[in-house]
Amino acid sequence: MTKDLIATRSVSFSVAERRIIDAVSISVKRGEFVGLIGPNGAGKTTLLRLLIGVLAATEGEIFLEERPLKDIRLRERARRVSYLSQDASTVFPYPVLDILLMGRYPFLGRFRRESESDLEKARRALSYVGLSGFEDRYFNELSGGERQLVLFAKVLVQETDLLLLDEPTSNLDIKHQNQFFSMACELTREKKAVVAAVHNLNIASQYCTRLILLHQGRVAAEGKPQDVLRSELLDLVYETKTVVTRNASTGALVVNVVPRKPAGSYPMPRVHVIGGAGSGINLTRELVRLGYPLSGGIAHEYDADQKLWQSLEVPSRVIGAFSHITPSDLEKAYRMVEEAELTILCSFPVGPGNEGNLELAGRAGRLVILEAGPQEEPRTFFSEKARQAFASLAGIAEHMDYGRLCEGLESGKIFETGAKKTEMESQT
Amino acid sequence: MRKRKIAVLLLLIVLLFIVVVLSAGSGAVRVPPVSFLRLLLHGLGFRSIELPPEMQLNIILHIRLPRILAALLVGSALALGGVAMQGLFRNPMASPDILGVSTGGSLGAVIAVNTGLFALNVFFPPLLAIAGALLASGLIYLISSYKGRTSLLFVVLAGLAISSLFNGLVSAILLFSQQYEVSQFIFWTMGGLEGRMWKHVLLPLPVLLPGMAVLFLFTRELNIFALGEESALSLGMHVERTKRIILAITAVITGMAISISGPVGFVGLLIPHLFRMLIGPDHRLLLPVSAIGGALFLLTSDLIGRVLIPPFEIRVGIITAVLGSPYFLYLIIRFQRKGLRGFGYD
Repeated sequence: MTKDLIATRSVSFSVAERRIIDAVSISVKRGEFVGLIGPNGAGKTTLLRLLIGVLAATEGEIFLEERPLKDIRLRERARRVSYLSQDASTVFPYPVLDILLMGRYPFLGRFRRESESDLEKARRALSYVGLSGFEDRYFNELSGGERQLVLFAKVLVQETDLLLLDEPTSNLDIKHQNQFFSMACELTREKKAVVAAVHNLNIASQYCTRLILLHQGRVAAEGKPQDVLRSELLDLVYETKTVVTRNASTGALVVNVVPRKPAGSYPMPRVHVIGGAGSGINLTRELVRLGYPLSGGIAHEYDADQKLWQSLEVPSRVIGAFSHITPSDLEKAYRMVEEAELTILCSFPVGPGNEGNLELAGRAGRLVILEAGPQEEPRTFFSEKARQAFASLAGIAEHMDYGRLCEGLESGKIFETGAKKTEMESQT
Repeated sequence: MRKRKIAVLLLLIVLLFIVVVLSAGSGAVRVPPVSFLRLLLHGLGFRSIELPPEMQLNIILHIRLPRILAALLVGSALALGGVAMQGLFRNPMASPDILGVSTGGSLGAVIAVNTGLFALNVFFPPLLAIAGALLASGLIYLISSYKGRTSLLFVVLAGLAISSLFNGLVSAILLFSQQYEVSQFIFWTMGGLEGRMWKHVLLPLPVLLPGMAVLFLFTRELNIFALGEESALSLGMHVERTKRIILAITAVITGMAISISGPVGFVGLLIPHLFRMLIGPDHRLLLPVSAIGGALFLLTSDLIGRVLIPPFEIRVGIITAVLGSPYFLYLIIRFQRKGLRGFGYD
């Protein structure tokens, strides 16, 4: 087992009886990129400040390379741990090079001047962060993002094994955010360790090897990004509804926030989505976002739609992969469709395996057939029976494209017109 | 920038030399500048150069020279104190006089003079001046270190309050004391250099010079304070210890300067600020340049005071106040309009 670079043993920190950090025990090894996540006020910054020794723990102990942190002289600490604070400002106009050379402070005696090698280190760090030529620019005349990069370069000049970064990319655009995190990532390959407080969960999931989720000063969860970024956990800690999905192209976890239902809205009518082969993904997300109670199916196991429903905890009817929908499956699914005020039939290919879904759609009190957009695959049928079944449905159902459907769902008007229509139908 | 820095430094040294020569020559009795140069060269070992006539020699040696030295010392000390406090508090509005350290010094000195302690021992005024300045610094330290956070605004506000309080006490002591004299009153509230003799200058010297020298050891720390105390600590700096040392040294050299000249205002505010704009904030250069600049400013102010309406002298504190107050107002207005950015700071 490799040694911990830094570890805390049930560390607490209180201010005026209020526990900001409560019995936190964590450890960080070389080569790790640990992301501290959690809502505002969860204690991320405080924990970092405890680790750097700016604050002293009220209880518990912190170990740096297995030695108690408080027994290590400040200067020696500064040669092992560096810290990038949120505050990226100086009062007086220092040139960038001067700022970088401050990173050599722990290595210089009072009477020693910065050597050529110190200067070389500063220049190299500056070019590493992509700001060569900025040596003589004034720090306070740089943009917020450039300042953060300069201060990161200063941390690099300090050449420590452990880097503590507090919200390092809050002022950076997405390009620089990613640049910043990949640079930090590279450091971990050099057997250094990085601990960063990160607000952007998507960035955290993409780069961090491990996440620590803080909640009210405690560790709420810890582990690989996929173990920590689970919506049931995040919902609780962030007090908001989240949806965690995987980005199809990068494979990284994506955390989205589901906005709350607008206040004062009526109880939302239930919607049932009949999908398959991913045809219901966008619609499902939109319905969840709008706060509609939802059900789905019948879908095959491992189907893209089914996977999403499962992750969002949308009740759905599932059958085994590649099996046919049997009458007993249908029997069980009818209730869902009948209870729904609106059933939406997505545009998916129909063959013998899922013909039953068209039969299910026929049971709907009100059916909307979602037409495939011009960019999408047209609806295809792999059996004559399916084609006929769809044709009979098409006669009685409403047809909408995705845009109009979403509009109707967003405003709720879709249900008003539906009501009128049934009235008209009953009159005739 | 580097050329400019060297130019500023050279210019200051040349100007300082010129003003010293002019000061030696000006006053109630005119002494030709050449006489002073002759004395100087003779003193430097050019024995072949004839000394000036004895009367001129006496005037230069016993009246002009101590006064010039007093101006130089006080000017440098106050300017260095200003640099140190502005750097420490990351605040271009801080200085020993604004924050009440100077008034603390005068309070101590006034107490020494008016309680008769001065009669017991000549060391009392400087000692009590230091004590008063330390008291003020201590108060500012306590206020500024509240919960480990330094609020720049509150440091200045608290300093102004301390300054007013001590000023009031100085006035009260002078008004109620038996030896009340108008000249004493003016000296201890406004400062001045008239009648400064060798004893006034030499007594504080053994503390003043080392004090100023020690400050030069902390140039790197003063630079790092610019990043904020948290970052300074993470760089391995003993922030609180350094703060205490720098504040104590500032108090000592300010107290010493005050015991020579009384509380001369605005040198500590104006000089560091001015030179930071000219040569940048790097304390390795800012400290020496401000020391020379402060000396030059005070000596020039004194010279102006002496030659403006002869045979009367205008006190140097009045000259610096007249030059400094509008400048301070200008700073405040600029601060209001543009925030710290208006200073070229952030």
